[in-house]
Amino acid sequence: MKAELRGIKAEGWLCRNCREPLQPMPVNITYMGSSFQVELPRCPTCGYTFIPPDLAYGKMLEVEKLLEDK
Amino acid sequence: MEQQTLRQFEARCIQDEPPVCQTQCPLHVDARNLARLIAGGKISEARRLLDRTMPLAGLAGYLCEGPCRGHCRRREVDEPIDMPLLERFCIARSRFAKPMPLPPTGKKAAIFGSGLSSLAAAWELGRKGHSVHVFHVGPPGRSLIDVPAEKLPETALKETLGQLAAVRTTFEAAENFSPEQLDSAKKKFMAVYLGFDDPALKAVDFNMSEPIPVEPATLAALTGRIFASREPSFIGQLAAGRRAAGSIDRLMQGVSPATAREAEATYPTKLYTNLAKVTVKPQKPPADPLAPTPEEAMEEAGRCIQCECLECVKNCAYLRHYKGHPKKYAREIYNNLSVVHGLRKANNMINSCAECGLCKEICPLEADSGQFIAKARLEMTAASRMPPSAHEFALEDMLYSNSPAVAFFRHQPGADHSAWLFFPGCQLPPSLPGETAAVYEHLRDRLAGGVGFALGCCGAPAKWSGRQKLTQTVRDDLHKIWEEAGRPQVILACASCSLFFQAELAEIPAITLWDVLAETELPATGRAAAEELALHDPCAARHDPKTRQSIRTIARRLEQPIRELPLSGELTRCCGYGGLASAANPEVGDLIAGDRAGDSDLTMLTYCIMCRDRLKGVGKPSLHLLNLLFPNAPMEKAALRKPPGISERQEGRLEFRRDLLFKCWGESPAPGWLMNSFPMHISEELASRLERRRILTSDLAAVLRHAKEHGAQFFNRETGRYLTSLRPRQVTFWVEYSLDDDGAYTIHDAYCHRMVVPGVPGCGAGSPASLEGYAAKGGRA
Ligand code: SF4
Ligand code: SF4
Ligand code: SF4
Ligand SMILES: [Zn+2]
Repeated sequence: MKAELRGIKAEGWLCRNCREPLQPMPVNITYMGSSFQVELPRCPTCGYTFIPPDLAYGKMLEVEKLLEDK
Repeated sequence: MEQQTLRQFEARCIQDEPPVCQTQCPLHVDARNLARLIAGGKISEARRLLDRTMPLAGLAGYLCEGPCRGHCRRREVDEPIDMPLLERFCIARSRFAKPMPLPPTGKKAAIFGSGLSSLAAAWELGRKGHSVHVFHVGPPGRSLIDVPAEKLPETALKETLGQLAAVRTTFEAAENFSPEQLDSAKKKFMAVYLGFDDPALKAVDFNMSEPIPVEPATLAALTGRIFASREPSFIGQLAAGRRAAGSIDRLMQGVSPATAREAEATYPTKLYTNLAKVTVKPQKPPADPLAPTPEEAMEEAGRCIQCECLECVKNCAYLRHYKGHPKKYAREIYNNLSVVHGLRKANNMINSCAECGLCKEICPLEADSGQFIAKARLEMTAASRMPPSAHEFALEDMLYSNSPAVAFFRHQPGADHSAWLFFPGCQLPPSLPGETAAVYEHLRDRLAGGVGFALGCCGAPAKWSGRQKLTQTVRDDLHKIWEEAGRPQVILACASCSLFFQAELAEIPAITLWDVLAETELPATGRAAAEELALHDPCAARHDPKTRQSIRTIARRLEQPIRELPLSGELTRCCGYGGLASAANPEVGDLIAGDRAGDSDLTMLTYCIMCRDRLKGVGKPSLHLLNLLFPNAPMEKAALRKPPGISERQEGRLEFRRDLLFKCWGESPAPGWLMNSFPMHISEELASRLERRRILTSDLAAVLRHAKEHGAQFFNRETGRYLTSLRPRQVTFWVEYSLDDDGAYTIHDAYCHRMVVPGVPGCGAGSPASLEGYAAKGGRA
């Protein structure tokens, strides 16, 4: 799912705790025993990962369904 | 799944059986398909079909007398399809599609006579690569020369003889036939065929007695190497030629001519075809029956019913949606269960069936798709192959209904034992709280011995989801409550509960609310609606004639005029809630409900609250029988009442519990009884989005509570909004919100996903509302 994830925007969002703007950084997301390294907007200090709704109901949902049927 | 289970199920479905026109055609021409192709103007395709199944179609197509007409199903409506007309049209308007002849086998057969059966036999043998030598008296095919030219164009025979020559048939003219000829042929050829439909050929020519006895299945006469026939009709001659060729071919391949001949004779079909909806449209006789125009032929072909069964598919939106009849999808399901590596593409299909049982009632052979699918689900969960997202929400909702926050049991106020126990189920109280409380009061008034009350869910969702262990735990919990209540007679208000009790809690004496009401004096408040109502039986009442009767009794006593739907009683339809169809596949769930809603223009009356709410959910004004018995609003308004959403249902159960406990037992709610006391502003548009995304307001509250304690994760400088996430169970929820001056939260968006993103705070797997947590505890706390 890597290619599709480039360019996920987190416009205007800051890590509330660290007051840092988010930056695209690699992160491991997992489901049903499968793991994917993807690049997502994260806080460079504490590492909180930002997931926007169009990702949740787009590529993420698609992959969830695929893994559930595997 | 055992292959045998599949086979047994498959064997029941007769959709793939050939239509009667084909089974009763001596050549088994696929007449249904022929009619379809001609109706669609596909003449050359139709010709290819004929060339495949009719020996020498260029000749035969003009000659067949059409015995299929005596069997055609259309004749039960008006007149049979004029298949000879269609064949004649097709042959006249198309060209012979030359088949690839097989390489020569070097084997030789002799044929005496050049009537139609002889030519057909020669063709069938020649096509297979055998060499055929035809002995004839007079010009070859002489008997056909006598057929009037309008019926059989002169060129047809000429072309046929050309085709035969192309497959190595040689013709040898003789003055007459003699026993010596036959003797020498028997020596020179592997087999001999005598086609007595050629009038030039007579048994006496060979010193034989008339008629020559033959073995019907093989046409073998005398010794095994002579075959013969004398058929009066053209179609009979064609079939005889093919049959003799089949015997000779077997002989040449060294097998007995009797091998595998069963399928060749005509036979009755097993195919069922419902003619109820076929409208009368007799044949329009063509201006010239011997030369029909394309329009005339297409019109006649269009009259063909295209006989098939599909009774179940016609009546089930689910089967229609997946575009398959049971025979087809049973195999897909079987394959799905056998996948080791790779995608299980049928999962969604398996989970979208309502398991309503209508198909079994409708199917002429009682093929039970619902049961087959229930089996598949059991196997999927047993093998841990059930997609977790399919049923999780519904099951957690069930667990919530049975959690200590909601579920309770009390004896009748002031009593310490219960002869009866009213169990309204998990959906009626949040949807019709006032009516549920009122009917409980009515029961207390009417029944002696104490009527206890229990709130909770019966466990039907667990069963529908194929989870055997979970079903068992939920049922055991219910059994305990029943024991605790002193083993009372249970009164059930929901048809699904009723079905579940029958199957899983058979030790508990249960009766439906409607049977009780029908046998006692009705509440004084009861009244009829101003209009006639269409009565919808829930699918779970399909096999409960007593309850169905009670409903009609109550309606009569209320003087409520009822319109029976064409599919009612044992043949009733599902609302899409059954089998968790709408939980796993909301789209199909709505199609199923839509089918039912479309069955009548009248307002519907039903006695299952999920049916009522789901029918209204697809826009159908619908009433529950309790609306008539305990009206608290004008009937037209009650019929239009919006069903509660997922959050309202959960909150509704809490409110119902609080109100009933207070009203009947004087108990005040424990502090914090409401699941979310968070002041939130949610626009209507967002609320319906949350409904679709299956996000509860209690989920929002959990996220906000976490944010309040630990601070939100993200802040947007431009909009001033916060965004924060929490994973309270197998789902991560995100809430975008802003804080209002008055301390309330305005929710701008909320969404969820199942994938695990590191760093999202969670409540751990032990969350009481989660399936895992419940399984770990092994039942109710
Ligand atoms: S209606 Fe058509 S398919 Fe049915 S029996 Fe007649 S020709 Fe065959
Ligand atoms: S939804 Fe009902 S009628 Fe349709 S296949 Fe399933 S059990 Fe049969
Ligand atoms: S009703 Fe359905 S399952 Fe039964 S024979 Fe017909 S097509 Fe097959
Ligand atoms: Zn940070």
